[in-house]
Amino acid sequence: MDIISQLQEQVNSIAAITFNAFGTLQRDAPPVQLSPNYPEPPATTTATDDATAFPEQPKQLSADLVKAAKQFDALVAALPLSEGGEEAQLKRIAELQVENDTIGQELQKQLEAAEKELKQVQELFGEAADNCLNMKKPE
Amino acid sequence: MATATYPPPPPYYRLYKDYSENPSSAPEPPPPIEGTYVCFGGNYTTEDVLPSLEEQGVPQLYPKDSNVDYKKELRSLNRELQLHILELADVLVERPSQYAKRIGEISSIFKNLHHLLNSLRPHQAGATLIHIMELQIQQRKQAVEDIKRRREEAQRLLKDAFVTLDGQ
Repeated sequence: MDIISQLQEQVNSIAAITFNAFGTLQRDAPPVQLSPNYPEPPATTTATDDATAFPEQPKQLSADLVKAAKQFDALVAALPLSEGGEEAQLKRIAELQVENDTIGQELQKQLEAAEKELKQVQELFGEAADNCLNMKKPE
Repeated sequence: MATATYPPPPPYYRLYKDYSENPSSAPEPPPPIEGTYVCFGGNYTTEDVLPSLEEQGVPQLYPKDSNVDYKKELRSLNRELQLHILELADVLVERPSQYAKRIGEISSIFKNLHHLLNSLRPHQAGATLIHIMELQIQQRKQAVEDIKRRREEAQRLLKDAFVTLDGQ
């Protein structure tokens, strides 16, 4: 895939990681006490599985996000932006067009000369073959 | 199960009855459309241009210049994005009701990123064209060399055959 499409894909995947990360964290977060007036949330419901795996999730998700961002930076560094601007590109295209035209004309010339020689050789060959056939008359 | 038949051919096929004998007796095809046209109820234009960010109502976060340094701006937009994501995480923890503004800012950063990348496409098209033309020039040079070589070899063979015939 070309580099610009890869960059676009990388931007989209950064967005996907971000919303997946926030969505997962919001969905799996254990309940938290909002104000001292309300009673403590019941902590015995699903405290076993979540409590072990839960603090790992933000670490993994943020590691993914940072990795994706670094990948994006690496792709940006790989952009081949050597030309100085649009005018330089257009000038180069005009030069290449001129060179292409001259080479095309020379190719045409060579092709015509070669075809002429081919026709001459074919005629000579036909004459020689006719002479050979004429000399070998069946007696 | 109801199926629909194909639509009938347009009724002006009768005008082309004598096309094989006299191609100019039948009407010409309509000329290509220029400007805007309507297709299935939607308006399309024939000029393909990338609409600028102001037209889409998105604030432009990178400096508007004729020669934007794409790499620098892309990298700085990336850093801004990371900072805004961190801010969003903070806002969600401390003041969860104020998330909307942060999300608006994050989405405007994404739109800027995509707009920058899309504005690189014409440059990419020019670079592709240059590459193709260089390849074509190289192929033509190769063909000229090949033809020259073959002609010389054919002339050499003819000379040899001439010499052989003379020597008989």
